[in-house]
Amino acid sequence: MILENKKVGHILEATILITEANLTNAEQFKQEMFDLINKGNQHISLNFVRVTYIDSSFLGAMVSSLKHALGKGAEIYLTDLKKDIIDLLRLIRVDKVFKIYERINDITGA
Amino acid sequence: MAEGKKKILLVDDNLFLLGLLAKAFEHEGFTAFEAASAEHALLLLEKERPEIILSDYEMPGMDGFAFRKHLLGNATTKNIPFVFLTAHNNTELVMEGLDELMAVDFIDKGTPVQVIVAKIDNLLSTVREKQALSLLELRKAAEAINVKSVPAKTPTINGFEIDFWHKPYQGYPGGDFIDFIRIGTRYTCVVLGDVMGKKWTAWFFTFSFLSYIRAAVRFCVSSGEYDPAVILQKTNQVVCEDEALVDVLSSLSLILVDEQTGHLAYAGAGDLPLLYFNSAEGVLTSIKTSGLLLGLFSSAKYDATSITLQKNDQILIFSDGLIESVAADRHTSNYGLFKENICPFLRHKNGFAAVKDHLSQTFTDATQADDCSIISIIKK
Repeated sequence: MILENKKVGHILEATILITEANLTNAEQFKQEMFDLINKGNQHISLNFVRVTYIDSSFLGAMVSSLKHALGKGAEIYLTDLKKDIIDLLRLIRVDKVFKIYERINDITGA
Repeated sequence: MAEGKKKILLVDDNLFLLGLLAKAFEHEGFTAFEAASAEHALLLLEKERPEIILSDYEMPGMDGFAFRKHLLGNATTKNIPFVFLTAHNNTELVMEGLDELMAVDFIDKGTPVQVIVAKIDNLLSTVREKQALSLLELRKAAEAINVKSVPAKTPTINGFEIDFWHKPYQGYPGGDFIDFIRIGTRYTCVVLGDVMGKKWTAWFFTFSFLSYIRAAVRFCVSSGEYDPAVILQKTNQVVCEDEALVDVLSSLSLILVDEQTGHLAYAGAGDLPLLYFNSAEGVLTSIKTSGLLLGLFSSAKYDATSITLQKNDQILIFSDGLIESVAADRHTSNYGLFKENICPFLRHKNGFAAVKDHLSQTFTDATQADDCSIISIIKK
């Protein structure tokens, strides 16, 4: 398992348990995210508190999950991101497609 | 293929034997991860990627067979060679492990530790040789059908000097692609893309993107549109419509060079901001666009930026592998640092040659984290 899940109000918080999010765990992450979305979770908040690095394979898995979620009318939020990771997401404009918050409690409109 | 220190995961509830095996493997140059239960091994596998697993069969809690089944159900662990270490010599049990659970081998627990280490070492060498052979075959096949995602040479563009540097990750062809598309006698389209993912799976899709970009360029030109933003838009629409490319995303930097006016027009899709080097002032600045990754949304909009270079000014477009690095087994990504590091080289005459030397020295198999590509355009 790459994700540890718990309900926070009506949001499902999925904490990523790995520190380096890369090619070796991207497929597993995608599988787990698709499962959560297919189970009908409408608001999924991905907690990155343990993640120190994301490579393009993992980023691809995140974006695929987002596309799948949008197709099912679900939302994905990102929280607790390290500065380096936020900087990377901004550089390649992925911050425009994900809803990014500092903490889960900051999520509005969910 | 990853060379260097071999990594093994040892799983056994007999702590004495576990310690003994770990010591013996480490003595032979392995990095040994120890787990006293299958449950602990699964936790370890979330962080570590051993090249081979040696596991006991009879363990309290999850036994060796259940552990193996669990690994087979996981996309990231199912292909790690797995060997059972067991006191059982029940033929039926052994056959079940070898056939149904695709274990590579069974080793009797009574085997001397040195022999176990030698057996695993040989097995791993065979696995590595097989991987190297497969890689060689794939390379030969790619060469035979003459498919290239990176051109063999740079184009000649009047008034400009074009050069590039490319180093695939671990020697595998990967997701980065480069193209120079000549349009009549006046324009050249400079293309740098990066299909998300690594190695062969990403490489395979580069050809779809390259074909679509070439088609979009021709389509736009035929209708008189010399606008890289429109080319990106058309490419993105087709990519989003193509069922074979569902979930395949790519960044793209596209620069249209006009030989007649000397102007450049740039549009980007989820790419890193390009770098513009002002030669007179010796200053390097970033130029951003707003376009999203190709394949994300068919309705995505792209914008183009016009760039006018003075003599010796330079434009650099590059893939994200150049801002990533590995040190002490930790990956980092830092665009600002890359920019800072290459700036001094650009101030010298033959600056890009110096940049290429610097990159060749910086990105070794040990420090490189992804494909690395960079294209330089200098105004003569």
